[in-house]
Amino acid sequence: MNKTLTLSPITRIEGHLAVKVEVEDNRVARAFVSGEMFRGFEQILRGRDPQDAQHITQRICGVCSVEHGVASVLAQEMAFGAEPPANGRLVRNLIQAANFIMSHIAHFYLLSAVDFVDVEAVSGYQGKDQGLRELQAWVKSQLASKLVSPIAPLLPRYAAKYLQDPDANFTALRHYLDAFEFRSLATKMGAVFAGKLPHAATLVAGGVTERVTALKITQYKSFLAQLQSFIEQAYLPDVVAVARSFPEYFSVGQGCGNFLCYGVFPESGDNQAKVFPAGVLIGEKLGQLAPDAVTEDVAQSWFSSATGLRPMDGETTPAPTKGGAYSWLKAPRYNGQVMEVGPLARMLVSYHDGRNPALKTAVDGLLKALDKPFKDLVSAMGRHAARALECKLIAERCGEWLNQLAPDSPTCRECTVPESARGFGLTEAARGALGHWIEIRGRKIRNYQCVVPTTWNCSPRDDRGIPGAVEQALVGLPITDAENPIEVARIVRSFDPCLACAVH
Amino acid sequence: MKRNELTGSVDRRAFLKISVRLSALMGLSTCSIPRVAEALAEMTQGNATVLWLQGQSCSGCSISLLSGETPTPVKLITQYISLAFHQTLSTATGHVAVETLNKSIAQGGYILAVEGAVPAGMPRACLNGEETFPDQLMRAARNAKAVLAVGSCAAFGGVPAAEHNPTGAISVPKFLASAGIQTPKILIPGCPAHPDWLLGTVVHVLKFGLPPLDAAGRPKAFYSKLIHDQCPRFADYEREKFARTFGEEGCLFKLGCLGPITHADCTVRHWNGGVNTCINAGAPCIGCAGEQFVARTNFPLLPKDLKVAARDHE
Repeated sequence: MNKTLTLSPITRIEGHLAVKVEVEDNRVARAFVSGEMFRGFEQILRGRDPQDAQHITQRICGVCSVEHGVASVLAQEMAFGAEPPANGRLVRNLIQAANFIMSHIAHFYLLSAVDFVDVEAVSGYQGKDQGLRELQAWVKSQLASKLVSPIAPLLPRYAAKYLQDPDANFTALRHYLDAFEFRSLATKMGAVFAGKLPHAATLVAGGVTERVTALKITQYKSFLAQLQSFIEQAYLPDVVAVARSFPEYFSVGQGCGNFLCYGVFPESGDNQAKVFPAGVLIGEKLGQLAPDAVTEDVAQSWFSSATGLRPMDGETTPAPTKGGAYSWLKAPRYNGQVMEVGPLARMLVSYHDGRNPALKTAVDGLLKALDKPFKDLVSAMGRHAARALECKLIAERCGEWLNQLAPDSPTCRECTVPESARGFGLTEAARGALGHWIEIRGRKIRNYQCVVPTTWNCSPRDDRGIPGAVEQALVGLPITDAENPIEVARIVRSFDPCLACAVH
Repeated sequence: MKRNELTGSVDRRAFLKISVRLSALMGLSTCSIPRVAEALAEMTQGNATVLWLQGQSCSGCSISLLSGETPTPVKLITQYISLAFHQTLSTATGHVAVETLNKSIAQGGYILAVEGAVPAGMPRACLNGEETFPDQLMRAARNAKAVLAVGSCAAFGGVPAAEHNPTGAISVPKFLASAGIQTPKILIPGCPAHPDWLLGTVVHVLKFGLPPLDAAGRPKAFYSKLIHDQCPRFADYEREKFARTFGEEGCLFKLGCLGPITHADCTVRHWNGGVNTCINAGAPCIGCAGEQFVARTNFPLLPKDLKVAARDHE
């Protein structure tokens, strides 16, 4: 097969994404990933009160809202010379962790699992589970109806080889239904301290507006306990079951092999010690993070602004008909290198960093359950595994933070906006490294730039023509059926793309 | 009620009877009965088709809807509507997704939910493959029974349409009006929209037709009162007990709360299954359901002197 396939839209991700692959001899020879939606947040932020930034930037994305809010208040705090009290830091960790858990559960079940699990298998269900019986009755009545799209949104789908084992299908489908409830439960847990989700109300420079009370700690704890059972008894085992049934996905979708992590969940006031430390992994070599090494190219992006700028001096001038361009994403590079970000990057950086022995033990345990060597983690299936394991580790950490909270002690310190200053906030979203850069003049925002996880992963080619991380991960992928290129969708979804974030 | 034993469906006469009863209960005039009957029949058969399109959006309203509890998302999809297409949930990918969407549009008669603003000044700022979002929206809205503008971006323009925006973004109703499309529109602002506001409206449309709307086109059931008038800190306001810093007791007015100019029921409804709401969490209302939310650079989200800001705002 020699053919160009265009998958547009890629559904079950956040936002507007199109992928074009050129197939030669049944394998992807070249891939082009296009972000298709632009709003211009960076222009809209100019001239505004810096303290509005965490509210406005959360609206970049309804999935990763909390993380944008955190990146923004970190950038403001650097610019203002402010630091939250311990309660403020812990509460932020708890809100951000809830959002990670929400996002990871939603990503596996709602977005990815239906690429592997066979929804139609429910027709053969003979057990007594009420949820599955109801699903079965619905499927039957839909098939008998005259609807244009029966069983939507679960059908139609690509014709492909789905999970064969009926029992594994039933279990995963039961958990698919449960996942809606547990995703929702995670937002409740976050809202205990966020006021509401998505778009947390309580994040401010200097801390959070919500207070810490014994009742709030208990509320959070009870949601956490339920989520922990779901993660341990459903999410992780389901990922292992899918992984064991699709072992071929451990040897495709490897990508660029470079990993970047800004670090997340500070364990100390100075923002230095973090649960997932910052680091840069190029080849097998772990290096220290140098924020100045980040630049953004726009040669093949729909922008006419200068290329290769550092975010602090970044510009965003749209040019929707620019020749040779094919995406609304800029192409971020670290010392000129393509980087992958996300749960796998965090896991590999932490593993090599070695300061968290519990993480190392957990990763080794997971690899044993999967019966796979360490190197296989760098793959499409490895990303799912890393995400699920991370979800468990973060939930465990939440329990510790709850114990450290001091009820009725301050959660916020007052701060003042300086006449002029610069700052940046580096954190991690569920999908990877997230940075906000702010420049203040006359107490107003003069420039604001965001470099977002999916900007890294779904980046187009840079000024030198080097493809982005997902584009590289698709090269070499075998395609069985040009009409049903599910392999491409599976690789792309393993990165958990978020396009509203990526372009903003 | 007489049921057809084979299909389990309710016959038309039985429907008319329930419809009359429901209409009386709802205080609807009798001329609404045929519409009510039609909608009820659709609901029982579970085939009220809903198409969900995303323009310049963050998916936050979709995510918010997933936190709905009455009904839950699974019940909504399997018992109330046929969600023919949704970018974030549909299994259909690529050309399969495009075909699914086009088949529904060709058949018509669906409820069209739109999330996000419309890049009227730069149509290529939102693409769906070869088609721009403005073109797709026009195509889908023409054949729809009603259009729900979900969230502040769709309803009023929101962040994408804020001052200095480079894409000429406008709200869905403004765009449809400029394109001469007459389909009835309902606005469900909020950033994000509360799941109850959306579910309550969808069920109302299916069961009883268009809900009573205010002058701006919002369902009166959710948007008729000011946040301030139902605020748990209203007594503090009356006694002039004002919080001066975040985390302090008292009315948040002096910290810039926009409750006094924002129409929504968050303070009584609460968010995320009732666990919290912005003002209870010490966060001043930023007016995210208001028409002017983030519209102007010189109107901060947390104006420290609301009277000055509100005057400036007018």
